[in-house]
Amino acid sequence: MALTITNLSKTYPNGVRALKNLSLTIGNNMYGLLGPNGAGKSSLMRTIATLQDADSGTITLDGLDVLRQKDEVRKVLGYLPQEFGVYPKMSAIDMLHHLAVLKGVSNAGERKEMVDALLHQTNLWDVRKKALSSYSGGMKQRFGIAQALLSNPKLIIVDEPTAGLDPAERNRFLNLLASIGREVTVILSTHIVDDVRELCSRMAIIATGEVILEGSPAEALASLKGQIWSRIVATDDELRALEAALHIVSTHLVGGEHEIRVFSPASPGAGFAQVPCGLEDVYFLQLSRHIRN
Amino acid sequence: MSMFLEFLTFELRFRMKSLSTWVYFAIWFAFSFLCIASESFGPVGASNGKILLNGPWANSYNALGSCLFGTIIIAAIFGTSILRDFQRDTVQILFTKPVSKTAYLGGRWAGSFITTVFAFSGMLLGTWAGTFAPWADHARIAPNHFWWYLQPFLSITVVQIFFMGSLFFTVAALTRKIFIVYLQGVAVLMIYIIGLTVYFADRSLEHFWSGILDPVGFIVFDNVTRYWSVIEKNSLLLPWDYSGNSPGVFLINRLLWASVGLISLGTLWALFPMSVEALTARSQGKRAAKARLLQEAEDLPLTAAGRSLVAARLPEVHRVFGVATSFAQYLSLTRLRIRTITRELPFWAIVGLIVAYAVNNGYYAGRVAGQNVWPVTYLMLQAVEGSSMLFFFIVATLYAAELIWRERDNGFDGIHDALPMRESIDWLSKVSAIAFVELVLLTVTMLCGMGMQAFLGYYHFEVFQYLRELYIVTFPLLLGAVFLALFVQTLVSNKFVGHGILIAIFVLQPILFSFGLENTLLLLGAIPSYTYSDMNGYGHFVAPLATAIAYWFSIFAFLGIVSIAYARRGSESSLAARTRLALLRAPRLLPVAGLFAFMALGSGAWYFYNGHVLNEYLTAKDRRKMQADYERDFKRYELFPQPKVTGVDTAINIYPERRSFDATGRFTLVNKTVSPISEIHITGNPETVVEIQFDRPSHRVSRAPRNLYSVYALEQPLNPGETLTLTFSAAHTTKGFRDGNELAQFARNGTFFDAEFLPSIGYNTGMELDDPRRRREEKLGPLQEMFPRGDEVHSRMNLFTPNSDWITFHTVVSTSPDQIAIAPGYLQREWHQNGRRYFEYGMGATRILNFPSWVSGAYTVRKEVYKGSGGPVNLEVYYDSAHPYNIDTMLASTRAGLDYLQGNFSPYQFTQFRIMEFPRYRSLAQSFANTVPFSESIGFITRLKKKDDVDLTYFVTAHELGHQWWAHQLVGANVQGSNMMSETLAQYSAYMVMQKKYGKDYMRKVLRHFLDRYLRGRSGEVRHEPPLALVQREPYVWYEKGGQIMYTLADYIGEDRITLALHNFLMQYRYANAGNTINQPYPDTRMLVDALRAQTPPELQYLIDDGFNRIVLYNNKAISATSQKQPDGKYKVVLSVQARKTQADGNGVESPMPMADYVDVGVFNGRKNDEKPLYMKREKLTEEHQTFTILVDTEPTRAGIDPYNKLIDRISDDNLIDVARK
Repeated sequence: MALTITNLSKTYPNGVRALKNLSLTIGNNMYGLLGPNGAGKSSLMRTIATLQDADSGTITLDGLDVLRQKDEVRKVLGYLPQEFGVYPKMSAIDMLHHLAVLKGVSNAGERKEMVDALLHQTNLWDVRKKALSSYSGGMKQRFGIAQALLSNPKLIIVDEPTAGLDPAERNRFLNLLASIGREVTVILSTHIVDDVRELCSRMAIIATGEVILEGSPAEALASLKGQIWSRIVATDDELRALEAALHIVSTHLVGGEHEIRVFSPASPGAGFAQVPCGLEDVYFLQLSRHIRN
Repeated sequence: MSMFLEFLTFELRFRMKSLSTWVYFAIWFAFSFLCIASESFGPVGASNGKILLNGPWANSYNALGSCLFGTIIIAAIFGTSILRDFQRDTVQILFTKPVSKTAYLGGRWAGSFITTVFAFSGMLLGTWAGTFAPWADHARIAPNHFWWYLQPFLSITVVQIFFMGSLFFTVAALTRKIFIVYLQGVAVLMIYIIGLTVYFADRSLEHFWSGILDPVGFIVFDNVTRYWSVIEKNSLLLPWDYSGNSPGVFLINRLLWASVGLISLGTLWALFPMSVEALTARSQGKRAAKARLLQEAEDLPLTAAGRSLVAARLPEVHRVFGVATSFAQYLSLTRLRIRTITRELPFWAIVGLIVAYAVNNGYYAGRVAGQNVWPVTYLMLQAVEGSSMLFFFIVATLYAAELIWRERDNGFDGIHDALPMRESIDWLSKVSAIAFVELVLLTVTMLCGMGMQAFLGYYHFEVFQYLRELYIVTFPLLLGAVFLALFVQTLVSNKFVGHGILIAIFVLQPILFSFGLENTLLLLGAIPSYTYSDMNGYGHFVAPLATAIAYWFSIFAFLGIVSIAYARRGSESSLAARTRLALLRAPRLLPVAGLFAFMALGSGAWYFYNGHVLNEYLTAKDRRKMQADYERDFKRYELFPQPKVTGVDTAINIYPERRSFDATGRFTLVNKTVSPISEIHITGNPETVVEIQFDRPSHRVSRAPRNLYSVYALEQPLNPGETLTLTFSAAHTTKGFRDGNELAQFARNGTFFDAEFLPSIGYNTGMELDDPRRRREEKLGPLQEMFPRGDEVHSRMNLFTPNSDWITFHTVVSTSPDQIAIAPGYLQREWHQNGRRYFEYGMGATRILNFPSWVSGAYTVRKEVYKGSGGPVNLEVYYDSAHPYNIDTMLASTRAGLDYLQGNFSPYQFTQFRIMEFPRYRSLAQSFANTVPFSESIGFITRLKKKDDVDLTYFVTAHELGHQWWAHQLVGANVQGSNMMSETLAQYSAYMVMQKKYGKDYMRKVLRHFLDRYLRGRSGEVRHEPPLALVQREPYVWYEKGGQIMYTLADYIGEDRITLALHNFLMQYRYANAGNTINQPYPDTRMLVDALRAQTPPELQYLIDDGFNRIVLYNNKAISATSQKQPDGKYKVVLSVQARKTQADGNGVESPMPMADYVDVGVFNGRKNDEKPLYMKREKLTEEHQTFTILVDTEPTRAGIDPYNKLIDRISDDNLIDVARK
């Protein structure tokens, strides 16, 4: 499986340019899409998931023209939208069976096996007969994950899948995804950098409809090695002064004081200590560079 | 206070900004504007042509209508005002502030009240604006009278808003559920409509409690205004005091319901908790507990669930796509959708309503116009399907919208739209789900119908008729509505916009129709009107119905296919993007779309060919124009001297299966005038093709389009006393089918037509437009009054056939071999020839009116011989085998009638009397010489259930038999009053025949209903009410008033005196002009009145003048009655009464008359409406107030004057009162 996106552009009727000539190649693996809100991640995901057309550009999936042969793509697709609701008064198990039929899982035995397995995997077994509409946000999200995986999809698109999950369920989900992702293409969009760090062998950072970084997390980290410095700043005035002078990647509050992280090939000054760089630094750095350009 | 104002102004600001307020206002504005400014729109505009469209009665009536149908609007405004806070959770902010309950509730309530009053004031403004429309009927628009607008608005609309609104507001505030509010609104509407059905089906004469307890006001309105004359309707408002026919009923009603509003507000203030929890929180607690359980399940520690942290491998499944999968997808989706519909409350609410309506209306299916009849299947279907139809369409459009929007409303579209499934599968499953639901509802309706038939004791279940009507006629139309709704909802961007468009489409159709767009092919979803008849089945309606259904079904299905192409999928919403998608999907859909387009074109072309090419397409207005043109062009010939017809001989071939006939015939014409006649004028029927020849040289001078009027010049004038023979050939051929307006006369089983399809001599006033509104539209001026008694020309013509006298009659009539053909006359011969069946009828030497008819049907026949003093009479009833119920009654009534009429007036002139059933396309019975066609809908299905039921069959049969004397022996001149000599006297004869069988008590009860009908009849008069002896075209005068006057006269002077008077009159004037060669006058009501006067004692002569020559109304009333036990064990009753008498003119303006009349004074025991007389004496009353002291033996309970309502009194139920014991 390989997904090739070439020169994809999309402008919404209200004038927002969601995708600008975007190109990406996604192989048979977990692929992370990082980006701030409104970066165009969901637009890209929806376009790949056949729910939206592009103004120009192509997407091919192993020879399939995603933008034209939508029905063929849908047959191998597992999609979890960023936000979704459920029908009232339908139980999870009934709904999964129904969706499995719609996804072409015709064999009743296989269907049952799969639905049961997914209910266990997503920890919904005990509440499988309860109405979906009574589910809490986290349970609903797990149901969404289950339905996306129903038919052994070859292309899995999950938009912000870990939103609303508690830490334990998030871990379980990432485990599940990782176990599947070895054979199929999984595209995971998120603004949680840790999701990508933990899971993805490759990633792209997207902002304002453009790819600003593409590569493996390891490569990205390697490129910054030894260039991130940290220091505690006591007052706002001091912070303001440093902001003007240095390339600050991010700030965190630690016990009420600002801890700033600065990108600099050499030590930016007194009080700064070299710290190991994280993917978050890559992310913030790329974003801030993008904005400056 | 300031806080109250803050809430109030907030509410008002919010309402004024919201579109809905203005939409409501616009609805009322448009409705009331159209009521004035458009032809035949609205309940008042479409009815009486004299009632002012902006008058007090019209404004009050429209105010009531707005209250009934505005219930939902009241619910919407009041209900949402308080629920808004709970839905949007602003309560959490509000109730944590120091807000007083009064300010909060008061502000919200007052804001809603003002908003609703504002919305409904659209009615006032619309009416007012309508009066300025230059195209409106200004004869019915009075100068605007402010109080006529304001008083109904205040006393009807505002009170209703206050009462209903407060109730809705209270319920909303206490339950805090919008669903309950709407449910309540719908329930009020439904229950009220059911109540109205019950009230009006029972034809109750109870006018007090029914009015007071009426929460909307239609019954109270009817109670108060039922006998108002047009003048009163155009000047009186519903009284705020104790005046009028139902004193105080309106006032008490308004006070009662306003206090219900107040009480509900008080309850609300007392019970409303200023907290987030609703009063009904306990029931909601259960749901909360359930949610907690789920929460706990979620909070279970992971280890407790025993799950490994290692992700297990998911099993392998196979994805298979193909036809089988498509089918499985379709099934699964359909099942899911049916489940989501049937698991929700609204569906069950609709089922419940359908059942409630069907049971209620089904219960009354066996009641037609206040009479009990057998609930035959067409009546039951009419009842149960009729009441459910609206729901069927609501379900179609509502669920089409729900299913189109469900994924989006639930936010499931992201998942749904990315499923590997064709749009057509998705669409088909939506259609199937709704179709399934509709089938369930149709089946429920059918079962209710059959259940109610069984409940009513009617076990002849015609399942196939149910199936045909519900599944073959209605179901495709419902599917069409589903397709249309799917199409609209697919294209619009918002569900409610879609609903708005669909409602507008549905509402627009009847409006367009009333504006003259009657073309079935252009009225969305229209089918031609059709009538099922037990005799004729769906008959000739099958072809037009099937074609129209196929046409609309195909068009809607085509739109449905388009909606597949445009189906929303994904997040693209611009029309351009969706069109791009649609074009991509189009190739696959093209074959099916093409098929439906082809079917639509084909069926449309076929319908057009039949309705517009084979047959001339005429709208109602076109037909009126034709009548008006006839009058405009040929009225000038009305007095043109013409010969009289004295003999008719015809040969008629009826082709029932082709709904056609052809005929040849000969009229014998005699010049009975005193000067030569050189032109013969013929009025033709546009439905008949005619050729005419005379037995002397002649030529046609002119012929009007459509064969309406032809003039022939005789080369040699016809001299006085000379005879001319006219021979004609005539044919009516039914070609294909029409766009509605099928002729009722021709049917495969049950042909019944009369001489109107043959040429007739001279100008025919019967073709003139008589509705004053229509005459104004056609600029015709008022309808020509009938001529006064003694008019030189018209006295010498008879009322029914002005250009004929008594004729000799002979006819040969042929029909299909399986049918019997009947015409007046004795059967001379019957034979088969050329595969057809022939009958020859002749009257021999007996002369009859030139008023023949021809009837043909597949009949079951009952014959018997009546052996009376005047010789044997053959009685025959020709009926449909499904209607055997009343044949005995018909025969019994005929025997009793022959006894009475022959015994009292004169011998029967014929030796046979035949009744034949014909299809219910027309609902009447008509008396031809010895021949009475009787519609299947009256008389043949009558059922007597209770002791007091009017035996309509017995009555109508006696009435029609009476016409063999009063019409077929005695016919009046073509002048004012003559109609009563046939109708009133036939009515009187029938009363007497009824009385002999059922007794006086029964007749009194029946007569109360007839009095009610007379008084209602005069209240709906469109021209002017004449006195009985001058009646022209007023059935309520010649039937109900005439009957009452004659019955009371018989009671006052004795039945034998009346009998003698009528006998003398009949013997002197019957068969007038039968043997004359020069026209002589026919009798008129002067002779009848004189004959009755001669038998009336001097002190009762006023009864003759009042009854026949004036319109007299009494206002008799018992004021008080007390009784005291005397030492001798008797009771002394002191009764004080009021007696008033007024004379009305034709418009209903009354002037008092002096009272010197004999009126019954009576004392009774027993309960109300079941009184037994203890004392009864006819007293001469000369004072308005008089007191009587009466001794009776038994303890009295009731007393009063004119207790049996023998005199015409508009408040008939205050004549008796309870006797108070001293």
